[in-house]
Amino acid sequence: MLPAWLRAAARRVLLAVAAGVAVGVGGVVAFALRDGLRTATEQVFALGALAFGVGLLGWSGSVMAGRGFENMQRYLDTGSDWTESDSRRAMSRVTGFGVGVMVAASVATAGL
Amino acid sequence: MISKRYVLKRLLLLIPVLAGVATLVFSILHLSPGNPARVIAGQRASEAAVREVERQLGLNDPIWVQYGRFLFDLLQFDLGESYIIRRGQPVTSVLRWKFPITLELAVYGQLFGILFGIPVGIISAVKQDTITDHLSRFGALAGISVPIFWSGPLLILLFAVELGWFPTSGRISTDFVVPQLTGILTLDTLLLGQYDAFLSAVHHLLLPSLVIGIYSMALISRMMRSSMLEVIRQDYIRTARAKGQGTKITLMKHGFRNALIPVVTVIGIQFGSLLGGAVLTETVFAIPGIGQLLVDAIRDGDYPLVQGTVLIFAFVFTLVNLLVDLTYSYLDPRIEQ
Repeated sequence: MLPAWLRAAARRVLLAVAAGVAVGVGGVVAFALRDGLRTATEQVFALGALAFGVGLLGWSGSVMAGRGFENMQRYLDTGSDWTESDSRRAMSRVTGFGVGVMVAASVATAGL
Repeated sequence: MISKRYVLKRLLLLIPVLAGVATLVFSILHLSPGNPARVIAGQRASEAAVREVERQLGLNDPIWVQYGRFLFDLLQFDLGESYIIRRGQPVTSVLRWKFPITLELAVYGQLFGILFGIPVGIISAVKQDTITDHLSRFGALAGISVPIFWSGPLLILLFAVELGWFPTSGRISTDFVVPQLTGILTLDTLLLGQYDAFLSAVHHLLLPSLVIGIYSMALISRMMRSSMLEVIRQDYIRTARAKGQGTKITLMKHGFRNALIPVVTVIGIQFGSLLGGAVLTETVFAIPGIGQLLVDAIRDGDYPLVQGTVLIFAFVFTLVNLLVDLTYSYLDPRIEQ
């Protein structure tokens, strides 16, 4: 049995991947009608990779420097309620979404 | 003592950071307009010639194949070859000689920030709510707010053109010829015993370092002030004072190290801004470093060079943060928990 935190994290990422797949398939179909399949795949894949890159960088950046940022904001009295754990969770969703779009772009091309 | 497990954990974090940056660069370059094959072949090249270049570069392959190949090459430290600016040269060798120039500038800027920011922050905290404190806080606010593309030309105008104290551009006087050992000019001149050349290099570096270090100094002094004020109010400081220890000794012996902890993290975090600032500073001062190379590579569409430069920036930034983390855990061993 997986620990609760791992189950929650997996559910979060999988839901984001599913959303990404849905958006990716829709994106390929929409772009393909306008620009042709190859261009559509390339654009949707690149957009997915963009989300994946931002998510991955944001997630690892949060883990790496999040505590420092929290401290800095506290000392500078910015009044922000940004936290490392919130950022990590949000970024894991963005990463999952990006992966979903990338996979969908690849699979949709093969299917169409 | 820093544990090996902690260091390993931090080192492993470098992988997703660099993978994220690599993916971002790849996707941005694919989404940006323009065909690299057309750029390489030339604007007047025939369609057949462009198709041939596309085939050679693998641009006809499906995008996920190109992405996989890009990541695979990256794993082998192969950043490709420059298309235009240094046509045919491996990106790694171009960066090898350009990067020390930027590193030197960033380090001197950071040094300037630390050497001035920390004392200003301490004085500001000790003299809280006096005119000195107000002035330093105003200075810090101005330093954080003023962009380099404005402060750079302004300082050149004042110190180089009007007063003539510093040169307006370049890295060293044209009277000197310094063979490249490390690429870091001030270090090379010292290693070669060319002390006049060293002084000339420092003279050329002072103004750009000042420009790039202003933001760093402002942020560090602001953080040092807040952190020192928090420490001053702690019980152990009050106890030391009650036992008759002098104010200066109490602050420096008991307060300084603890107040330094949050400042150290900020130094690491804003090193990234310093590298970003180097791009602008090098352009303003005509310093031929990696920042200027990046600007040229983006303008000319030299994609491998853009990718390599951004990756090297990310790598150094993460490495500096790793060093900062280790310093942080040395100053406060509870962090590793």
